[in-house]
Amino acid sequence: MSTLKLDNVTVSRGAGPVIRDVSLRVDSGSITALVGPNGAGKTSLLESISGVIDPSSGDIRLDDEPLGKLSRVKRARRGLVHIEQGRAVFPSLTVEENIRLTARTQAGVDEAFDRFPELAKRRGNASGLLSGGEQQMVVLARAFASRPRFLLIDEMSLGLAPVVFMRLLPMIEQISKDGVGVLLVEQFTHLALGVADTAVVAASGRVTYQGDAATLKNSPELLHRAYLGGAP
Amino acid sequence: MLRARNTALRAAGVPLIVAIVAVAVGYGLSVVLSDYLVFLGTTAIVAAIAILGLGVVTGSAGMISLCQLTFAAIGAWVVAWLNTIDAPGGFILWLVLGALAAGVVGILVGLPALRLRGVNLAVVTLGFAAAADVTLVQIQFPGATAGVSVLRPDLFSDDRSYFLLAVLAMAICAVIIHFVQHSRLGSSWKSVAFSERGTASVGASVSSSKLTAFAISAALGGVSGGLVVGQVGLAFPSSFSPIQSLALYVLSIMSGAHLVDMAIFGGILWVVVPELLKRWGVPQDWAFVIFGALGVQALTSGSNLGTGIRNVWWKRQLQRAGRTVNTLGEGVEAAGAAAPQPPAPVSTGAPVLVVEDLSVAFGNIKALKNVSLTVPEHSIMGLIGPNGAGKSTLVDAISGFLPQHTGAISLGGKPLHGLSPTRRARLGLRRTFQQDRVPPGLTIGAYMRFVARRRTTPSEVEDLLQFMGCPPSSSRLAAVDVGTRRLVEVAANILSKPRVLLLDEPAAGLSHEEHVDLGRRLLQVPERYGVSVLLIEHDLDMVRSVCSTLTVLDFGEVLDQGPQDEVLANPAVIKAYMGETEML
Amino acid sequence: MLAVCLTLMARLVRVVNFSQAATGMFGGFVAVWLVSNAGMPVWLATVIGILIGGALSAIIGWIIATWLAEADTSTRSAVTVGPLLLLISLSFILFGNKPQPFRPILAGPAFSVGGVVVSQVTVVTVVLAIVVAVGCRIILAKTSAGTQLRALSERPTTAELLGIPAKLLSVGVWTVTGMISALVVSIVAPSQSNDATSLAMLIVPAAAAALLGGFRRLDLAVVGGLALGILQGLVAQIDQISFVRNFVPFLFIVGFLLWLQRKEVWDASR
Repeated sequence: MSTLKLDNVTVSRGAGPVIRDVSLRVDSGSITALVGPNGAGKTSLLESISGVIDPSSGDIRLDDEPLGKLSRVKRARRGLVHIEQGRAVFPSLTVEENIRLTARTQAGVDEAFDRFPELAKRRGNASGLLSGGEQQMVVLARAFASRPRFLLIDEMSLGLAPVVFMRLLPMIEQISKDGVGVLLVEQFTHLALGVADTAVVAASGRVTYQGDAATLKNSPELLHRAYLGGAP
Repeated sequence: MLRARNTALRAAGVPLIVAIVAVAVGYGLSVVLSDYLVFLGTTAIVAAIAILGLGVVTGSAGMISLCQLTFAAIGAWVVAWLNTIDAPGGFILWLVLGALAAGVVGILVGLPALRLRGVNLAVVTLGFAAAADVTLVQIQFPGATAGVSVLRPDLFSDDRSYFLLAVLAMAICAVIIHFVQHSRLGSSWKSVAFSERGTASVGASVSSSKLTAFAISAALGGVSGGLVVGQVGLAFPSSFSPIQSLALYVLSIMSGAHLVDMAIFGGILWVVVPELLKRWGVPQDWAFVIFGALGVQALTSGSNLGTGIRNVWWKRQLQRAGRTVNTLGEGVEAAGAAAPQPPAPVSTGAPVLVVEDLSVAFGNIKALKNVSLTVPEHSIMGLIGPNGAGKSTLVDAISGFLPQHTGAISLGGKPLHGLSPTRRARLGLRRTFQQDRVPPGLTIGAYMRFVARRRTTPSEVEDLLQFMGCPPSSSRLAAVDVGTRRLVEVAANILSKPRVLLLDEPAAGLSHEEHVDLGRRLLQVPERYGVSVLLIEHDLDMVRSVCSTLTVLDFGEVLDQGPQDEVLANPAVIKAYMGETEML
Repeated sequence: MLAVCLTLMARLVRVVNFSQAATGMFGGFVAVWLVSNAGMPVWLATVIGILIGGALSAIIGWIIATWLAEADTSTRSAVTVGPLLLLISLSFILFGNKPQPFRPILAGPAFSVGGVVVSQVTVVTVVLAIVVAVGCRIILAKTSAGTQLRALSERPTTAELLGIPAKLLSVGVWTVTGMISALVVSIVAPSQSNDATSLAMLIVPAAAAALLGGFRRLDLAVVGGLALGILQGLVAQIDQISFVRNFVPFLFIVGFLLWLQRKEVWDASR
């Protein structure tokens, strides 16, 4: 059982803080959905966890080890895998090569294909030529093969039709059931809340709701308030 | 007002006075110094002129040019040739002709720069330098083999007075460059270095910016080459080898040659470093080793002496001026808050911007499908929709950056089909960018004048800046944060009095309170400046307070369109906005 | 040949290394010095020279990977102009500016076709260029380090987020290309005007050839190198145009590139 813990994290970008004072924890085997309108600073927060950018203040710990100045590579080696926005495949590499990057052994590759059988028949294709949904599946499979402890997923649904994304969600759930902690940033609020255990809503650079995902999902007023502030 | 005129006077006067003083000092030096030092001084000045040229093309316009001394060689060749055929006009005229010839070649070399960028361009210029070098070795300079040395003008026939001539030439070049750098042309160079799209979107031509930069830079190279021939009498290709062009490039990067004083300093370094080494009994080749090492240092740290020194100075200035800026900021807040108004009712103005059946495809992906919209005169239309809905693509297509689109766009009844972004901007269709495309090398005032493309009075500029809540025009863009920079971008485009202004998330990077503030100001824009606005915005509060009509995009299609309250009441719209189309 | 190195670098570590030939030159000079002053056997000296070329390249690569990890290709490339100057001058200081007495490793004609004698050096260089190009392709395609390198070149940030050690790999590429260029210079130098400047300036035709492949395609870079050589040989035979002769390859490349990039009206990123 491990935990990823954020304490009062503030992330700045050029102008000033884009998201401030975020405290949250993700436990292995659970999914936390981080939702909210565009420009709420969700992506910046993920980037500060994986080390793409440095937070301007606050503390990020993986199992009580402060991540502080660890490089991205070291964080990834500690099992913290960040799936970026957009389709983060290496387009000219084949599906198998993409997965081999993290799997390292043939057994690992095979296991990934067992888990994602739809990709097995595409293993020799250049991943850039796959459909959007398949590309995201490659990204998931690649993350799975690296045996992560925590997955940070940033808007996997971007540019996908909802039906396609709905097929990816069970895969994320399955990975989490294997004991991986997932922090899921999504713009498809309801779908994300449907699979999540905990929910965090960020709007205008602040956390406006934090708690049970199901409660939020079933209460339109609560959701509305969290998203739009005081507006009706 | 009086102050404004004073500043203008000072802006024009100070460089001239500095130039006159410099010439006087040059005269003094030419009398006092030993023969040898005078000769070295001439060399330094010649190098400084060449570096000044590099400062234009590399420092300001951001293109790597590795053939500066080839331009110098062309200038030198022309002067030497005119000398051997005993052309009328004398040395000074030959010098000017040499500069012109180099300038023409500069344009030719600059032509590939219209399509080639960065390293590719650098390789091309280096290849040109190498090819020209080989050719020069083959054909030699006119008169060089026969030993016909170039005649100096009578007035400046000895080394001392020739030094003075070089100082004069330097002063003239420096003053010209100073004024050009501060003109709209100079702004366009800095703008092209930072963003080509940004440059085109304000109606400046990218091609002519690049070519003028190359031409002027080459002409300066030509002057320095011509002076060299005059200095040494006979020119040899070895003085203009590609290696020296490279060294000059490194030196210009190191010293920050887009600043006139630093170019002169670079020229002095060019001479002083090898000279000092010689005095200390170290082989002169170490000079290039030093330049090389310093160049690596300058490039890796991304700084140079000139900007480094200036930054320290500016920081001091800022600390001193800190208080005044603050009080001004408060005044602005008050001005903004004084005009709380609900959004105007749906305007019945005549349509200015009409988009019909616009579709854009990137490969197989359809980014926009049959989008139609009409922006009425003097109104603000909001364009909303989830991430990836195609909002920015729409703005790109309207402003001319996506010529492959289908459908029709017209501005005030005039079809825009086939027009470049530059032409569209000149017709009064302006846009801002979601990314920061404001060149940080300019002051706010210079940027405003550059973007406005029309005669403006200083008070007009200050008024608008104050209205938009921006810092005063003397501030440097590099010193303000990105959010403010984008406000300045909006303000500058308003200053150009366009018919339609497309704003792509102008408030990104601002706090929620500043969002609302900006909304209040935008609300007055159509009336005050006669501009119609199409606004992309995520913050529903701002949309509600500003936009009279709305267009909602989702998956590249228009989901709903109409008066603000009706559209926002549509449950499908709210769901799309919250990313819940899957629930429909 | 050097063009292959350049392309390799440009693709894998996002830099056009202007000092490529210079590092090779320096390694080659060290080798010559060792032979003539320390009496080493030619092969040993050459190996040491190659190692030094690799080491020099690695140092430059390390500097760039450390301080300019996020910079764009132009800046990274501009930095290499510094080492180019530095190495040329340094070799002037250490070895003098006279052409160096390169002991030919290979000499003599290999065969002749229709009266045109093709020297061994030419054959070996061409073969080597093809071997290196093909070898690199195989390494990139089949080995895991190759896959990582390709991944790195496509999306550096994503690769790092997957735990691929970017710095180590890029310094490795620098080292290998440095060694290859030292080898090339050692082979080619005896047949060329071999003072420091002209050897370091081999970078110009090399870059031109690599440009043909757009700094991305190895096969085109080899073709470009050969085409350039042939073209130069051809125009050399026509006396009437000797004046413009030096510009022909240059113009050819520029023309080709402009045609290739005719659609690139807007800078992709800005």
